[in-house]
Amino acid sequence: MTADKEKRRAISREAARKRRRVESDVFGDLSHLLPLHPSVQAHLDKPSIIRLTLSYIRMHSLLKESIRTTAESTHMVRYAQVAEGREERSDCDGGQDEEEKETNMYLRILEGFLMVLSTEGDMIFLSDNVSRYMGMTQTELMGHNIFEYTHPCDHEEIRNNLRLTAEEVWCGEKRDFVMRIKSALTHRGRSANLKSATWKVLHCQGRAKMCVSPSSVSYLLLTCRPLPLSHTLLSTHTFTSQHSMDMRFTYCDQRVTSLLGYSPEELLGRSIYELCHTLDTHCLNKNHLNLCLKSQSVSGQYRMLVRGGGYVWVESHSAVIPAVRPSKSRPSVHQPLCILCVTYVLSGVEEPFLQLSLDQTIHRHVS
Amino acid sequence: MSAWNAATGGGDRAGGEPAEDVLVEEKQSSSVSLPVMMTPSSASGMSLSMDMPRKRKGSMDNQDSKSTSVNDADMEDDQIRSDEEDQHVKIKCFREPHSQIEKRRRDKMNNLIDKLSAMIPTCNPMSRKLDKLTVLRMAVQHLKSLKGSASSFSEANYKPSFLPDEELKHLVLKAADGFLFVVGCDRGKIVFVSESVTKILNYSRAELIGQSLFDYIHPKDMGKVKEQLSASELYPRERLIDAKTGLQVQADLPVSAARLCSGARRSFFCRMKYNKISVKIEEKESHANTSKKKESQKYCTVHCTGYMRSWPTSQMGAEGEGEADKQDSSHFSCLVAVGRVHSHSSPQVNGEVRVKPTEFVTRYAMDGKFTFVDQRATTILGYLPQELLGTSCYEYFHQDDLPHLADRHRKVLRSKEKIETNCYKFKTKYGSFVTLQSQWFSFVNPWTKEVEYIVSTNTVISHDHSRTSRSGNKSEQSSNSKASEDCKKSLPIIPGISTTPGTMIYAGSIGTQIANELLDFNRLNSSPSSGTVSPFSLPQDKSPQTHNQMSNNVPNGETPDMEMPGKSISEDEPQGAAFSGGEALMGENSQLDLDSVVGPGLSSLSNDEAAISVIMSLLETDTNLGEAVDFEEMHWSL
Repeated sequence: MTADKEKRRAISREAARKRRRVESDVFGDLSHLLPLHPSVQAHLDKPSIIRLTLSYIRMHSLLKESIRTTAESTHMVRYAQVAEGREERSDCDGGQDEEEKETNMYLRILEGFLMVLSTEGDMIFLSDNVSRYMGMTQTELMGHNIFEYTHPCDHEEIRNNLRLTAEEVWCGEKRDFVMRIKSALTHRGRSANLKSATWKVLHCQGRAKMCVSPSSVSYLLLTCRPLPLSHTLLSTHTFTSQHSMDMRFTYCDQRVTSLLGYSPEELLGRSIYELCHTLDTHCLNKNHLNLCLKSQSVSGQYRMLVRGGGYVWVESHSAVIPAVRPSKSRPSVHQPLCILCVTYVLSGVEEPFLQLSLDQTIHRHVS
Repeated sequence: MSAWNAATGGGDRAGGEPAEDVLVEEKQSSSVSLPVMMTPSSASGMSLSMDMPRKRKGSMDNQDSKSTSVNDADMEDDQIRSDEEDQHVKIKCFREPHSQIEKRRRDKMNNLIDKLSAMIPTCNPMSRKLDKLTVLRMAVQHLKSLKGSASSFSEANYKPSFLPDEELKHLVLKAADGFLFVVGCDRGKIVFVSESVTKILNYSRAELIGQSLFDYIHPKDMGKVKEQLSASELYPRERLIDAKTGLQVQADLPVSAARLCSGARRSFFCRMKYNKISVKIEEKESHANTSKKKESQKYCTVHCTGYMRSWPTSQMGAEGEGEADKQDSSHFSCLVAVGRVHSHSSPQVNGEVRVKPTEFVTRYAMDGKFTFVDQRATTILGYLPQELLGTSCYEYFHQDDLPHLADRHRKVLRSKEKIETNCYKFKTKYGSFVTLQSQWFSFVNPWTKEVEYIVSTNTVISHDHSRTSRSGNKSEQSSNSKASEDCKKSLPIIPGISTTPGTMIYAGSIGTQIANELLDFNRLNSSPSSGTVSPFSLPQDKSPQTHNQMSNNVPNGETPDMEMPGKSISEDEPQGAAFSGGEALMGENSQLDLDSVVGPGLSSLSNDEAAISVIMSLLETDTNLGEAVDFEEMHWSL
């Protein structure tokens, strides 16, 4: 009796093993069809294989919509070659190489990575430089859901951004928002374990894209850029300012005078909300909230009132700076929590004789 | 750590488990996602990171990378290690039965298989659910067919990139809504521009290549762009902001030291011309007006980011001719950049973005004095903004409307919602009245929770139809009837305001009085934390001059609830938890709208909570600060 049972068990175990082998083989076949480096292919686990297959299929249908003619692409490659002034141009394989370099150039210039998101939040595609920013490779992340990697407090906002009506998709509706994502990079730029991941603030910009076949699906195509804390500034047309957490000026650099007419002293204690055009209240409010909740923000374009009349279009990139207390190493430094803004002035003074605010009627322009 | 990853192959090890969502990331060779935070002590079996994991709010990193799978025979080296660790896990911090973990793993796999079958055309028409193996086999077939059709894909085989670069590039430009361009630094000659420029500036590539960039830039921005292109110093006037102190420091080292690309970065905004679409109409116009009618050129603001490159001119061939003599003998310097147009408000439209022609916006201080008047008001009211600024709105309201507007004023200062007025008459410069209807809301500083000002969107109502109020504010119905009753009385009696004969004399003071009421109230009820009152402590009007037989100054007609200051909760403003409750409340309202956009807003938190949430977000966000945040150095100053 027992022997019989044993035998049956052995048979079933053997069958199971055989099934598993067959399954593994199919998984292996699938992984070899993926456009990845063989060494990467060999180390994928089963769920990853499926995930990457899904990404491949989805991206294929997405890209099918936007087919480019060969003529166009070779034309571009040639220009790129010239522009880059490369020495290895004569290589027969140079064509492929050039393309790769050009693409990398795009992403390097943008200082970010590309993300294709489904409306459920699946990260269908990520460009491979994502590892530079998140510390995790493309194959580790692709196919996973973005909600697993982003700060829970930002989920609501992400969800709202993923919501697209048919019309919006048709028009290629734009998206622009800030969110926090996990980064497994150490301070030295190496990849650490996800357990000691920190939050990185990403500025995501992009648009909706539709894909008609096999079924109508829509995606968000985004470039994601970590917001830097150090800026390269040039002297004209930008100014920096510091604010207390309620957005009142606590410091402003001299350049504001030539750009907006105010002396830095005049601005101290004044709220930025007084100094902007009313129609932009919403924009600044959102910026402020982003700052408080996520510690960094990009404002989008808004109008700042110029002293005595008129306004200029500006864009501010801001960050919350942690408080600094006098310490042994820096005994004289004391600074509470504050906001640091770098403001780019985009336009000239518009309507210089138009006084829109009470403040403008009192003061004359100091040029 | 990276060694560990390499040894086991960089498979999916890095999934995280979100605290809120229950979705558990299970992979065959990866870890158990235990709901409990794994402290280093319990992770003794793991040879991974020895860092003290930081506890942070909403931390999702309670995953360790051990394997629990016993079925996967492929990963042998994993297996041995994982078995050992498995034991540790079981002994030390096991919370779930193994069967549960297995079940989740299976569910996850099944989920993936389902998704896969949905994506494969041959699987779709099948009415019955296909088994795993069949789906996989069909997937293999499908991939083979895909690769067969698109030759570019198959070429991607030997390159370590998932997408062919051409496609990727296309996607990047589409996402970034930008175009790549390369311009020589010397004369701004456009050496290269990508195809996507056509969609953005409406010029063809042929038109642009070889031209000078300066021909396409707004005259006032030329100086700025020239400066950016100046390659005389490789790193001109760069300034960095020291994130620790927030002060500017002069950069001694090139900023790009850590980067792959050499050359200084450039980032600037400039206005670029864009080509108008219809040409025919323009021609007709120019024929009709023989005089030189200069058409206003349209510009859009382009954000250009990129870096400087310098190449030996010998490589440049035809492109470099003419440039060589200007440069130092052998190099051609240029800017390689991407230009992007921003989505919100291309400023060629002068601020008419969201406001219709019969609308204008104004800002009032709390006492009703105009502090901002949109220029559109002039065509409607006759006054220039400066004539209105500083005066009280009550001086222009018709007598009959004073009571109801005063009532609204009171309400708006105490409410977070948008308040709609009825139609009312506003005196124009020429003595006549125009009928307006307005929507008011008090804009509250997200940090201090204090009212900064009242924003008013005013619409002109044509005299024929009198509009009934929209349903934005539920309390309006009751107040409406009251207001109209008030109007019937000959003498405008404004509750709370001492009634003296004459209109203009006290009109201005109405606003001041209303504002003072609020200030007094605030003083009486200031919460101890920071001297600013949480909005939730003002659900009703507790004006000391309780006059009220005739009208409800109290919103929603409820009896005033004399309450403790601080966190009293009004009935129609459910707060709930800081994060979830906020949603319900922040329906159609102005700044509250933002909360649903931006996330659980500060307005749903008290001042202390708000401050703490800022601190927490800072602690959590370790952006390029260069070193770990030192807790001792954090200074809570509110």
